Amino acid sequence: MITERFQLMLKPVHLRTWFDRLARAVITVGGLATIISILGIFFFLFREVTPLFTAPSAKLTQRLSVPALLVDEGPAQVAVDEHREIAQVFTSGAIQFFDLASGQPIPLETPAQVKARQITAMASGGGNAPRLAVGTADGEVLFLKVGTTTEFTDQGERRKRPHIRAGQPIPLTKSPIVRLAYRANDQGSLLALLSKGGRLLVARIAADDVAGHHPIITELPQPRGEVTALALDALLENLYVGTADGQVVHVGLSETEPPEMRAAYTVAASSTAVTTLGFLSGDRSLVVMSGDGAVSTWGLVRRADAPSGWTLTQIHTLRAHNAPVTAFAPSQRVKGFVTGDRKGNLFLHHATSSQTLLRLANSEFPIRAVAFAPKGDGLIALDGAGQLSLYQVQNAYPEVTLETLFGKVWYEGYDQPAHVWQSSSGSDDVEPKLGLLPLAFGTLKGTMYALFLAVPIAILAAMCTSQFMHQDLRAKIKPIIEVMAALPTVVLGFLAGLWLAPLLERMLPAVAGMALVLPLLVVLASFGWYLCPLSVKRHLPQGQEALLLIPLLGLGIAGCLWANSFIEGWWFDGNVKAWLSSRLGIQYDQRNALIVGIVMGFAIVPVIYSIAEEALSNVPKIQIAGSLALGATRWQTVLHLVLLSASPGIFSAVMIGFGRAIGDTMIVLMATGNTPILDWNWANGFRTLSANIAVEIPEAPHGGSLYRVLFLAALLLFIVTFVINSLAELIRQRLRDKYSHG
Amino acid sequence: MGEPSKLMRDFWRGGELFVWMTASGVALSLLMVAGMLGLIMVNGLGQFWPGALQETTLKTQETVIGQVVGEEVIPNSITPDSPAGQRRFRYRVGNRDVFGSEYRWINAADIVSSARPEDLTLVERREWGPAFGRITVGVEGAATGSASGSSWTTVKTLVERANQLRRRIEHLEREEIGSINYRIEKARLARHALTLGGRLDPDDADRDRLLLDQIAVLERDYLAKTEALERLHKDAGQEVLFLTLSTGRSVRLSLDEVLAVSRPNGMHWGEKLLAYVRSLWLFVSTEPREANTEGGIFPAIFGTVLMVFLMTLAVMPFGVMAAVYLREYATQGLLVRLVRIAVNNLAGVPSIVFGVFGLAFFVYALGGTIDHWLFPEALPNPTFGTGGILWASLTLALLTVPVVIVATEEGLSAVPRDFREGSLGLGATKFETLRHVIIPCALPGILTGLILAMARAAGEVAPLMLTGVVKLAPALPLDEYLPFLHLDRKFMHLGFHIYDVGFQSPNVEAAKPMVYMTTLILILVVVSLNWAAVRLRNRLRRRFAASTV
Repeated sequence: MITERFQLMLKPVHLRTWFDRLARAVITVGGLATIISILGIFFFLFREVTPLFTAPSAKLTQRLSVPALLVDEGPAQVAVDEHREIAQVFTSGAIQFFDLASGQPIPLETPAQVKARQITAMASGGGNAPRLAVGTADGEVLFLKVGTTTEFTDQGERRKRPHIRAGQPIPLTKSPIVRLAYRANDQGSLLALLSKGGRLLVARIAADDVAGHHPIITELPQPRGEVTALALDALLENLYVGTADGQVVHVGLSETEPPEMRAAYTVAASSTAVTTLGFLSGDRSLVVMSGDGAVSTWGLVRRADAPSGWTLTQIHTLRAHNAPVTAFAPSQRVKGFVTGDRKGNLFLHHATSSQTLLRLANSEFPIRAVAFAPKGDGLIALDGAGQLSLYQVQNAYPEVTLETLFGKVWYEGYDQPAHVWQSSSGSDDVEPKLGLLPLAFGTLKGTMYALFLAVPIAILAAMCTSQFMHQDLRAKIKPIIEVMAALPTVVLGFLAGLWLAPLLERMLPAVAGMALVLPLLVVLASFGWYLCPLSVKRHLPQGQEALLLIPLLGLGIAGCLWANSFIEGWWFDGNVKAWLSSRLGIQYDQRNALIVGIVMGFAIVPVIYSIAEEALSNVPKIQIAGSLALGATRWQTVLHLVLLSASPGIFSAVMIGFGRAIGDTMIVLMATGNTPILDWNWANGFRTLSANIAVEIPEAPHGGSLYRVLFLAALLLFIVTFVINSLAELIRQRLRDKYSHG
Repeated sequence: MGEPSKLMRDFWRGGELFVWMTASGVALSLLMVAGMLGLIMVNGLGQFWPGALQETTLKTQETVIGQVVGEEVIPNSITPDSPAGQRRFRYRVGNRDVFGSEYRWINAADIVSSARPEDLTLVERREWGPAFGRITVGVEGAATGSASGSSWTTVKTLVERANQLRRRIEHLEREEIGSINYRIEKARLARHALTLGGRLDPDDADRDRLLLDQIAVLERDYLAKTEALERLHKDAGQEVLFLTLSTGRSVRLSLDEVLAVSRPNGMHWGEKLLAYVRSLWLFVSTEPREANTEGGIFPAIFGTVLMVFLMTLAVMPFGVMAAVYLREYATQGLLVRLVRIAVNNLAGVPSIVFGVFGLAFFVYALGGTIDHWLFPEALPNPTFGTGGILWASLTLALLTVPVVIVATEEGLSAVPRDFREGSLGLGATKFETLRHVIIPCALPGILTGLILAMARAAGEVAPLMLTGVVKLAPALPLDEYLPFLHLDRKFMHLGFHIYDVGFQSPNVEAAKPMVYMTTLILILVVVSLNWAAVRLRNRLRRRFAASTV
């Protein structure tokens, strides 16, 4: 050893200083890099979350003029394929595809039966399929499939091929068709049409009647006002008729029964007509646009007083246009839609979050038709001057706003606004509901129940070991309690879920008994000890009360467990669950907040204990000795002096316990039912932010809304625990400084 | 009357009552710890003891064979007529495939007689858990076993022989055929890599042909091995076992289904002890069966140890370096103080947050990039772009690095100032002082930090769930194929095993004892590590408390 050191000294000096500098550089760089990278976690999480809140934007990428043939007054329809390479325009003049890379029309013959007829109405079949129905001036309807198919060559190259397939015309009425609504599903197709004379017809074509030779045509009674808009849903059960005096009439349709006029609703100011009706994707929310430019969504809501049990209710109001709305298109991906008005403005809305995301001034000409690209990342619009405009839209997370995350949201199919977390569902048409409030509530609930149990036990124990306990005993007991902090939470969660939960379900009366018996036992024990003659007391030095209490409380617990059925018989009429539900109206879940309170309390007792203990034992001994010398009893000293001086430390201990309970994952994952509900009740479960992350992130698509919202949850947990711990740490440091100087 | 009321007043004022109340806090904490450990130990260690098999006849003339595993008062059975209530026993009746459930409650009132005949046999099977009954040997095709030649020793030899054969089959399947499969896959990927740039380079054509030949040879090899495997399966012999169940029904047991047979009623305590130790050993050394509800937990132990080891490799240099920088090199000031508090508080940030970070940063960002540059031939199957043991270890390293930093700093600051000044005064450079004086003195502190970090890492589950732990890993992350340590592989972990078997398995009730045992092992690891750290820290404190005086 000595020779080695000696040899070290013999190295040349310049080499040693050089080496010293190198070491300094390495340690500085390495140390700083480590610190920066662990602190960088925050910024990385932040970066993953920010895209949620970046404002949507749209950029005009292309504008081309369509041939004069396509510029007319009649109905129009536009579309663009999912890679935004081929656009299609369909007006009463013709059907034309455009290659967007070159801006040139793609030559493709319009079928003869379409060309030969004057098209007076168009309707899309809904969904993602390129199905269209058109009505002609001769009272016929044709079904068309107009779209683009994507093929891959052997080399893996992508090829697009536009196609038009048209069926044979089906005569339905004698006069020109003015308005048309069309939906199809596997039972068949349904058409609602308004003819020039104001007749309202419904035509049903069965699925096996491919050619449409046998349509079943029913005439509907005339509504009060002039019919201005029609909308059919994909169930083929509901027809909505918009009128010129601002009403929507709900007509119930069925295959077997005659059509039934359910009710008429006033949806716009009385003098303004309903100009357009449409559905959001999934065909459950009706979008109503009226002549004054107002835009709102409506849905069927359960109401007991309505004759059919349902009424059409206004759900969301969106930003109104300054001019009548002339075009509408739903997004195929989310509950969003786009509207265009007569003055050439395009508004992008998202219904569920009640927000109008973007306003685009397209041109001064009326918008004739508009459509989303299938992935929602593009828009195509045709205006009255024959200009086709293409926009690139950046709007990946329209459904996430601060209000939808933390406020009540009126989701489709709900009877009122609610806080809901339901990230996935069986059907694509049901939107994800990402309300973080139930989860934040669950986190708080679990934490509160845990603290409720842990704080008294931990602080009492800390007072006992730091002030009253014999030093030798303290040296043995303190590490035992502290090692509890190291127990993996998965172990506690397992015990909570598989041992305690079933046990507590049977032993609830015993636990209620314990809450009464255990404090009573302590009181009796202390009084008995007080009455004991000195000759007995001498055998146990002061400060070992805990040793006496362990067997006593153990016996008390065992006694309560033994007496479980008796307690159940006396207090709870022999069946505690029935008693709870009949007397208190509480439905007992096997995995509930009480279990979490007990087990998570167990997990944070050592955390709170060890910090509170430190704070309590740091109170200078000289002050305590002074108080005792002045005649105060040991309890009075602790209550009036020690507890007061150490109160900031105890507060910081509770805060750190709080921080620990908030972030715990495994216990709540295993011991609660993970049901995201808002209810303070001790007898039911909840779902916390942390457990929610663990459950859902493996299924969340990378970069999607759910993924980023879960990151937001993680970021919130990070910030909350970090702030709480920092505050607690500051308090502790100040306390330590105070006593080290004093 | 004045006397007792004064006594009460003094008792209240003196506050002894409250002192006892505080003591009840300690007593409750200790009771909870002891109760929990006791519960886990009894449930975990108890299951390996060969329990007696009861043959019980019921009033309905039905016979039940099983182990009594529990007893309780029937809920709501206490009536004025029977104040003690009715008791019932919980029997483990086994034969899940026949009875549907492995457990059954039997009311004490229904029992006519109960005995422990020595010829009751416990059969451990590859599937469906244990079976209880009387065993006979028969030949394939027979309806029942023949009484002759069915002596207990014959049965045991047969089972022993079957086990040897199974081991050979397993070796062939896993080691030899597995190795061929592995090499074929490698060669296939290498070929794919050659054609990745679009066309096959003429220079590479030779190599490609070589690879093709190699694959052909390997495939021939593969065929030969599978034939050998089939021959082995045929060797299994004609004998089968028949088990007469409690219902009197005879069930055919093919020998390759049977893992072990035993007659616990005939064992004396020495044999039982031996059997106990043997099953305990099998538990920690074998692989799980039947969706992890039977068999051992060796891969989980191995995964946990390897993950903690990798984490330690990552966390040690960086944690120590950061602490040394903060304490010895950085200019002490407000900024360093803030950084110190921040680092300290990172230890309190929920582990799931680190898991989320690990998923986004390591798995998606880093792993995705690595796949793109280094393993394009395997795409779209991710190599590092999915959870794996490396990412899990690094995530846990981030989680535990604050622990190491704090403990190391504590160790460094406990080194008396005189030591440094002495060393510097004698002409040593700062680094020499650090290396030869300060670090050796602070070593216990550094080790304490490391041990605490290891204990924390061994017990964490939530971050692992996002970064690479699986319920059943097809292969260990360490094997005999280059490069031996497969950092991209998924792994099993004790903590996750507990979660998975306890909450996701189809037969939780039968798996419970196993989970208790797994829990016990995990607690032993974590608590002993912590205990060591606490002891080390106390020694450190005492040593310097003495030397600074």
